[in-house]
Amino acid sequence: MPHILIIGAGHNGLTTAFYLARAGHKVTVLERRDVVGGCAVTEEFAPGFRAPLAHAIGPVRETVVRDMALARRVTFLRPDPRLIALDTGGRALAFSHDVARTAEAIRSFSAKDAGMYPEFCATLQRLGGFLSGMLELTPPSIDAPAAGEVWDLLKVGKRFRALGRTDIFRLLRWGPMAAADLVAEWFETDLLQAAVAARGVFGTAQGPWSAGSGAVLLLNAAVDPAPGGSSVMVKGGAGALSNAMADAARGEGVTIRTSAPVVKVLVSNGKAVGVTLEDGSEILASAVISNADPHRTFLSLLDPVELDPSFLTKIRNYRARGTVAKVHLALNALPSFRGVANPADLHGRIHIAPGIDYLERSFDASKYGELPSDPYLDVTVPTIGDPSFARAGKHVLSANVQFVPYQLANGESWDAGRSRLSSIVLATLEQYAPGISAMVEASEVLTPVDLERRYGLSGGQIYHGDPALDQLFTMRPVLGWAQYRTPIEGLFLCGSGTHPGGGITGASGHNAAREIRSVLKRTKR
Amino acid sequence: MPHYDVIVIGGGHNGLVHAAYLARAGRKVLVLERRHVLGGAAVTEEIFPGFKFSVASYVVSLLRPEIIRELELPRHGLEILPLDGTFTPMPSGDYLWRVNDHARTHREIARHSKLDAEAYDEYGKPMVEMGRFVKPILNMTPPDPTSLDPRGLMNLLFLGKRFQALRDQDKYNQVQLMTMSAVDFLDQWFETDVLKATMSASGIIGTFLGVRSPGTAYVLLHHYMGEIDGAFRSWGFARGGTGAISNAIADAAREAGVEIRSETAVSKIIIKDGAAVGVVLTSGDYLTADVVSSSVDPNLTFLKMVGEDNLPDEFVSDVKRYKYRGSSGKVNLALDALPNFTAMPGPGPHLRGAISISPSVEYMERAYDEAKYGRYSRRPYIDMVIPSLTDPFVAPPGKHVMSCFVQYAPYHLKEGGTWDDHRDAFGDTVINTIAEHAPNIKDIILHRQVLTPLDIERDFGLTEGNIFQGELTLEQLFFLRPAPGWAQYRTPIRNLYMCGSATHPGGGIMGAPGRNAARRVIKETKTGGRR
Repeated sequence: MPHILIIGAGHNGLTTAFYLARAGHKVTVLERRDVVGGCAVTEEFAPGFRAPLAHAIGPVRETVVRDMALARRVTFLRPDPRLIALDTGGRALAFSHDVARTAEAIRSFSAKDAGMYPEFCATLQRLGGFLSGMLELTPPSIDAPAAGEVWDLLKVGKRFRALGRTDIFRLLRWGPMAAADLVAEWFETDLLQAAVAARGVFGTAQGPWSAGSGAVLLLNAAVDPAPGGSSVMVKGGAGALSNAMADAARGEGVTIRTSAPVVKVLVSNGKAVGVTLEDGSEILASAVISNADPHRTFLSLLDPVELDPSFLTKIRNYRARGTVAKVHLALNALPSFRGVANPADLHGRIHIAPGIDYLERSFDASKYGELPSDPYLDVTVPTIGDPSFARAGKHVLSANVQFVPYQLANGESWDAGRSRLSSIVLATLEQYAPGISAMVEASEVLTPVDLERRYGLSGGQIYHGDPALDQLFTMRPVLGWAQYRTPIEGLFLCGSGTHPGGGITGASGHNAAREIRSVLKRTKR
Repeated sequence: MPHYDVIVIGGGHNGLVHAAYLARAGRKVLVLERRHVLGGAAVTEEIFPGFKFSVASYVVSLLRPEIIRELELPRHGLEILPLDGTFTPMPSGDYLWRVNDHARTHREIARHSKLDAEAYDEYGKPMVEMGRFVKPILNMTPPDPTSLDPRGLMNLLFLGKRFQALRDQDKYNQVQLMTMSAVDFLDQWFETDVLKATMSASGIIGTFLGVRSPGTAYVLLHHYMGEIDGAFRSWGFARGGTGAISNAIADAAREAGVEIRSETAVSKIIIKDGAAVGVVLTSGDYLTADVVSSSVDPNLTFLKMVGEDNLPDEFVSDVKRYKYRGSSGKVNLALDALPNFTAMPGPGPHLRGAISISPSVEYMERAYDEAKYGRYSRRPYIDMVIPSLTDPFVAPPGKHVMSCFVQYAPYHLKEGGTWDDHRDAFGDTVINTIAEHAPNIKDIILHRQVLTPLDIERDFGLTEGNIFQGELTLEQLFFLRPAPGWAQYRTPIRNLYMCGSATHPGGGIMGAPGRNAARRVIKETKTGGRR
């Protein structure tokens, strides 16, 4: 039986491994670090304090959860309220899973918005539902769509028309729109607008006024239509999920080697034949699949001479501009947030970016390599739903910080920048959770550069490449190579740098496995 | 009381083109213009004795060669003079100068970067290809993606097939052009900051977007489409100012039998049983016609002249949602002498083309950042031309007119007070910015006219001062312009059509909307039809 190597044990790599092994392939996963999961890990950042790097997940595609029996292996948490948005005046807006209850919460800000909210949810449901089907589709080849592809497209076309005139035009308009314009068409409350629009900019190098942020909003709705997101978590953090996926894969006979960093993909007359590890040892294989991002895969793991110059140029032009930093705080007590009476309500995500202009201004700074004075914070206190992250009575705060440039202006080093960033974050938190600074026992700041070094994210881009209009679907990572294949025969991609990319959903890994299986079948004949 | 086949509301260049084509098809056409002068935003006015200004629109951008040919505009006095090159002074004292002479431009760019000089020649090739791909789309009635109307589907198929036929590299470029920001796109080609800044500027003119906003790359094509238009020059100055274009078109229209009444403003469109049957004038008189074509923007056409009660709710909300938010102003200067630029002192050919204050990408982006929060840019992007150098007739001997297009000047100010309170300060900002590069400017100004977005709205009937009758952003183009499902020059009111820049393919002195809409009206109404 031919042997398949997968570079990287991120959640997509593990998903691909699982499906290929289940289809009877002999699969080995090679992980650079000593833990599996890539960005879906839970790690100790201070003695006795652990935090999930990705503090809310996908949610993972239902098919993947079912096939890998994940519900049996881990406990998924669905906090309610799922999201709490804080404003500067000490008020909080709670987003529950229940639409009516959320509408009631909105009513205290605006009766008009409360009236619009249910229809907005229903609309996201419908549009998201349509796009959700696209997530599990292999992007068609532009030049010569195969019969199967045409059939898929016809099915998509049918479902497209079924949406009806109004929704079709919504889809066509919303994609290229600015998220700020999109939410303004529905709501008047700045806090509500920002909480909803934030998903159009999270993890990207665009602000709410950037055209095309609407597409990212829609892409998120396809994964999870709840405005602001469902904030699904896992008991034990994202790391527990990755371990469960690894177990599922091993269950199918997959071999997983940690601390086995791949430095080169071996290519012989245009075909991938194996990899070289850091220790110099070589492993031969009939196919190599990279869970690493496109930049790392093509610009570092491959010898440039193996690739066509025009393809190389396209990969170099593929934008991966990290804008997210991660801050972990070890707290000696549970912080109380203004406007939130019941601490249990903080179990979900806490949104700190009280308005559209606030979001846009924090983005502005990053354009010039500056740190925002008022950053957009996406916060969780995981210890509320799962005390195991810290010793009894202690707490952990996990914050995604945006917009943080990968490279600081005038060549300032991140060693200096890091401490500035952490004081900015603390100062911001202090405004919404007075007294929190005094509770800090220890902290960890992961800048985009740290994310690149530790987790192998080129440019610190958490999605393996900007989710932008020109880098999605048939253009992810580049037009003509969106089908998980590469110009190198026998070398494939399965990470977030492929359609549909994005958060921890397993969609890319699942699609890649399907595509790779059919290619390997064909080549065997 | 004469009855007309078609009454055209607005004597702008599109309204006039529209009327001319209808008359040539045998229709009895009346054009009604609110102002004393024809042309809408394409007018020449003697604001100061002896100084004739292209008050608003100041360059011809892609006036369709078909129109120049079919309406025989040269015979009616149209002469387009070359706008040679773009001169960009820099604070460093250096400059970037691109001219129509390739070799020279190559040398100039090479001073900044040899790589870019090479890349610049390479860059032109695919852009011309892309231009060829896009051109026919300008003359096309956008299909309705939701209908199964065979003609619409054929159009989509036609586009699909032409896209298929492109070389892979061109497909890649095309997709990028439609979706990327001008700067991201240019970053792939060039390293010289001032070059990228100046080129990207064309992508933001008339929009409320920054050079880093997706969707701004597309306009980079326009320059090369001008080249393809070839024989008939479609890019430059009109002798006698921009108004001369309107006059040439008006002349052609009259010759074809069009009746044109200026200083005749329409207050209402008369609707009977869901169909347009005529118009009411501000004078109180009314005129009847089988068809009414409006070349003014949707806000004026539907919310002012038709009235919400006569329209379906969804359409009304679409019209209200349609974005204008003018972002630019205009400063017209009567000069005693020529400005003297520190970067290239003295008079010279560099003053004959466009002079662009766009020294760096960051400069452009910061100008935009201020506008986002409701301030006019304190260091704005300025695009200047001195037509009197190419066309002496527009100024007294030895004197000059200089036209300065300024961005960003947001219609919705959040600085306290209205534009009326800020007009002079805004004008000073522009002069001071120019003075940083041409210190003598303050001493040579004889007269100055400052047009804020509010003035543009008042004087030219452009809602929120948007020079394109609505933002040229992706969600307001092609089959979404001006409203989803109403991109085919038709409206929910029977016998009421749209023929202005608010319809595909949009703004600029192109004339395509007026011509496309005429094709539609001719197809859907019988000659002298009396129904």
